[in-house]
Amino acid sequence: MDLKDFSKEIERCSACSYCKWIPFDQVQSIRYAKNCPSIDYFNFNNYSARGRYLTSRSVLRDQVELTEEVMDIAHTCLTCGACDVACKISRYNLEPLEMTKALKAELVQKGVFPEPQKALLENLKKELNIFGEDRKTRGAWAEGLGLKDLSTEKADVVFHAGCSYSYQNELSGTVRTAVQILKQSGVDFGIMGNAEMCCGARINSMGHTEAYEKLAKANIKAWKKAGVTTIVTACSDGYHAFKRLYPELGGDFIVYHIVEYIDQLIADGKLKFTKEVPLTVTYHDPCHLGRQGEEYEKWDGKEVKFLNQIVMHEPKKPRYNGSNGIYDEPRRILASIPGVKLQEMERIREYSYCCGAGGGARESYPEYSGWVANERLHEAADTGAEALVTACPWCKSNFSDAQKGQGSMEIVDILDLVQRAL
Amino acid sequence: MSLTDTHYQELEAIVGKRNISRDPAVLDGYRYNLSHTAIHLGPHFDVLTPRGAAVLLPGNTEEVQAIVKFCNRHKIKFKPSSTFWSAQGYPNDNETIVLDMRRMDRILEIDEKNMVAVVEPGVIGATLQAETMKRGLNCHIQGSGCSCSILAGATAWLGSGPGNLYGGWQYENLLGTEWVLPTGEILRTGSLVNDASAWYCGEGPGPSMRGVLRGMFGTKGSLGVFTKCAVKLHAWPGPQKLPVYGKAPAYTTKLPANFRAYTLGFPDWKSWADTAHMLWDNGIGYTGHRQFNFLGRDLKWAMIQILTDPSKTISDLEELMKEPGYAEANQSMKIDFQLIVTGMTQRDFDWQEETLNEILSITGGYIVECMETEHLRNYTLLYLLRLGHKALNLVYGGGYDGNFGMINSIDFGAQRAEEAGAFKREWEEKGQIVQAGGDCMMGPIGGQGGGGTGLWENFTCFDSSDKESTDGALAFFDASFAYTKEKGWSGCGFEKLNSLARGYDGYETPKEIRDAGHAHAPQPAIFRYQNKVYQAVNPLDLGDTYYERLDDQQ
Repeated sequence: MDLKDFSKEIERCSACSYCKWIPFDQVQSIRYAKNCPSIDYFNFNNYSARGRYLTSRSVLRDQVELTEEVMDIAHTCLTCGACDVACKISRYNLEPLEMTKALKAELVQKGVFPEPQKALLENLKKELNIFGEDRKTRGAWAEGLGLKDLSTEKADVVFHAGCSYSYQNELSGTVRTAVQILKQSGVDFGIMGNAEMCCGARINSMGHTEAYEKLAKANIKAWKKAGVTTIVTACSDGYHAFKRLYPELGGDFIVYHIVEYIDQLIADGKLKFTKEVPLTVTYHDPCHLGRQGEEYEKWDGKEVKFLNQIVMHEPKKPRYNGSNGIYDEPRRILASIPGVKLQEMERIREYSYCCGAGGGARESYPEYSGWVANERLHEAADTGAEALVTACPWCKSNFSDAQKGQGSMEIVDILDLVQRAL
Repeated sequence: MSLTDTHYQELEAIVGKRNISRDPAVLDGYRYNLSHTAIHLGPHFDVLTPRGAAVLLPGNTEEVQAIVKFCNRHKIKFKPSSTFWSAQGYPNDNETIVLDMRRMDRILEIDEKNMVAVVEPGVIGATLQAETMKRGLNCHIQGSGCSCSILAGATAWLGSGPGNLYGGWQYENLLGTEWVLPTGEILRTGSLVNDASAWYCGEGPGPSMRGVLRGMFGTKGSLGVFTKCAVKLHAWPGPQKLPVYGKAPAYTTKLPANFRAYTLGFPDWKSWADTAHMLWDNGIGYTGHRQFNFLGRDLKWAMIQILTDPSKTISDLEELMKEPGYAEANQSMKIDFQLIVTGMTQRDFDWQEETLNEILSITGGYIVECMETEHLRNYTLLYLLRLGHKALNLVYGGGYDGNFGMINSIDFGAQRAEEAGAFKREWEEKGQIVQAGGDCMMGPIGGQGGGGTGLWENFTCFDSSDKESTDGALAFFDASFAYTKEKGWSGCGFEKLNSLARGYDGYETPKEIRDAGHAHAPQPAIFRYQNKVYQAVNPLDLGDTYYERLDDQQ
C-alpha cells in the first residue's frame, strides 16, 4: 500500500500513546515498561508511531520540507512492530507498522533516505548480498557437507542460509549445525549455494520496495524452477520475508524456521540431547520470528461501515496482533537441553523489546542501534542469566557488537546451544 | 513574542541540542488532530492545534525553571504536557513553547509505611501501579487510563475513575508538590514547606494550597509546571505482580480467592442506584464502574466476545449480534455495572460477598449469568484493576467523546440515563454517529472520598476520517449541550466543557466568548477566584485559556 492509502487511518489515530508502551496489562516495572526503541532514544513524539502518523499527514499534504529530520523520523523506525501489538490491544482499524513502512517507501521514492543505504543497494545489485561480499563465495559455508545444489538439482525443500550466515565467518559453524540437523531428520533438501540471493527483507524494511520485489521475485522463480515447495531457514529476517511477504508476490511456499524443525524432532524423539549444558539463559524473541512471524492470510477486501460509522472490513480482514508467532518452540528446545535453565526477561513474546538491528538502523544509525542492543542486554542481565540466547543472526550480531567484547553476557545462537548438547 | 534565533540558542543552552527542536516536522508531532476527539471540545474536522514555536524536553526541575524564567524574560507563553492525552495538553497559540515532560519519568520514592509515592510528570498509572504492588500498595488510576500521567491527573484534571471506591478522585490523593510557578519561582506546597523531605500532606502554606493550585478542574497545563508531586497510596491485598495469561488483546489475570469481578444487572435504574448506595453504606467493593456499556447497550455483549477472543475482529460484530441468545444476554446487562470485590483478608472477602448477595436480594439486582465464565471474570478483573484498554473508546471509528456528563449524586444520573439515551438514540438514527443503542452511559459508582457522587458520560463514537460523521457528531454535541442546558441538568454541559478554551480553528477562544460562558456558569464566583490566583502567580499571562477565569467586573 502507498502512503496515501493510509490517509483515513492517519485521521483515525487518536495519539493515545499506547504505541510507546508494552501492553499495559503486561507492565511489571517502570524500568521495562516501554516498547519503542526509537522514541526511547530520540524522545520527541515523532519518533513513535503516533508521531509518525502526524509526520505522514504533513508529508502527504506537503506541509513540511523533506528535511534530514523527516528522514530520521521515518528511518529510525526499526520496523520491530512493538507499536503494532500495543496499538491493537484497543484498535481494530489501525496498522501502524504498515503505515510506517509506507512512509519510509514514500520517502525513498523521493530520494530521502540515509546515505549508508546507497551502499547496501549497490551491494545487492552487484553481489546479491547486503554486505557486498563476492557472490561466487556465498555457498562456501557448506563446503564438505555434500548438500544438493538446487541451482542444478531438484528437491522439495530448500535451506536458505541468508546473507549473515553465509558470509559472517563466526556464524558458519551455526549454519552448518542447522543443515546437519536437517540431514539427521532425513528430509530431502538442498541449498542454492552460490546462486542463493538475499531475501530482500532488510531493504524492504528500509522502504526500498522496488529493490526488494526484484530480489523476492528472483528467489521465487529460482525455487520454483528447482521444484521447491518448502523453505527452511535459520534466519528470522528471512523467515518473515518468506512467510509473510513473499505470498503477496506469488511465493506460496511452506515456510519453517529451523527451531520449528528442531522442536518437532525433539517431540518425535528423533533428536536427543546427550550432553549437559549447565547454563542459565534468557531468551530474546526476534521480532521477525515472534510478533511478525505469524501466518500470512490472503485478503482482498474493502472497508465498509456497519451501524452507521463502525469501520470494518468485508470480508473479515486478518488481524496480525503478534500473539501467534514462534514463541513456544525455542522455549521448548531450551527446556529440553539438560542443564539449561531459562530465566525470562520482562518483555517477551509479542511485547519483546527489539535488538536494534532492524529497519536499516544497524547500517544507518549505528550509535542508536547499539544503544538499543545495550538496553536489551541490560534487561537480560537483570534476569541473572549468564547467556542471552536468540534465534536470529542479526540479533546475535547486534548484541555482540554492542558489547564490543567487553560484556559479561554470552550471546548464543540457539543452534549453537543445541550443538553443545548433542 | 516570536522565537528568534538568539532565543532558540538560549533555550538550547538550557536543555542541550538533543532536547530541543523547531523543525516543522517535529512540531507537527505536537499538534492534536481535533477530528477524532478532543475531550469535550469538538470534534472539528481537519483541524489541528497550532504548531507551537519550539518543543523542549526538560530533564529536571532546574531546566524547567530556567525555561520558565526565559519565558518571563521574553514574554513567551509555554505549555507543559506529560502524555499529551487530549487537546488540553497542546498549545493554542503558534508562538507557544511546548514542554514535553516525558524525560522526567522517575518514581522518586515509595514510602511504604506512610503510603505515599513521589513521582515526576512522566510517571504513568501502569508503571506506578506495578511498582507499588510490589510493596502491597496500589495507586489510584484516573479514568483516562493507566497510560496517563499520575501527576497530571492529580494537578491538572479531575482524576475520577473506576478506582474511586478505593482511591477517591486523584486530586484527593494529591499531597506535596514541587511547583515551578509561571514566574519561574519554585513553590513547595503542603508539608514540604517546613521539611523538604515531607511529602505527606497537601495543605499549606496557608489555607488549602491544594485547592488554590488546582482550582476547580485542575490547571490543565496553564499555571506553571509541576515537576514533582506526592500521591496517597492505598492498600493492595493481592500478589506483588499481576499474573497475566492469554493472547493479545484478550489478556486475563488470575488472582487469589480474595478477589472477584462481578457484572451486576438490575431490573430498573432505582434498583441500580439503591445497590450503589448500599454498597457505599456497607463498605463493599474495591472498584465499581459501569464499564462495558461504553460500547453501547445494543452492542456490548458482541463487543465483549470480540475483545476477549484474539481470533475475532470487529468485522465479526454483525454475525455475533445475530447469534441465538444474543438479545437475551444483552438484555440481562441492559442496566448494569461491574464490581470488583477485594477482601483485605479472606474473612473480609467472604463477608463482603455475603453482604453483596444480601444487598442484591433487597434491591432486586442479580449477577449477570453470561459474564460468569472464569475467562470473562478474570478479563474484567485485569481490565478494571490496570485500566489499560482506555483507547477502546476509539475502537469503532477513531472518534469519540463523552456527553451528558453528570457529576452529581448517583440518583441524579440514574434518573436521567434513559432520557439521555433516548435523546441520543434519535440522533443515532440520523446516521452520522455509531448506532449503539442510545445508552452508552459509563462511569464510576463512587466519587469523592469513595462514595457520594457518580460521574456519568454517554459515549458517542464516530468516524474521525469522515467529514459528514465528524460534523454530525459536533451537531449532536451541540444539540445535547442545548438540551442539558434547557433541562438544567449539569451546568455548562460536559460535552462542550473545553470549548471555552479553544475554538473551532484550534486557537484560543476570544475573550468575550469565554467571559460570557463563565459569567453564565452556575457558580461564576469560582472563575473570579481562579482569576485572582492566576493574576497572583502568573502576572505576565504566560499560560493559556484552559485555566478558566473571569474578571471581577464580568
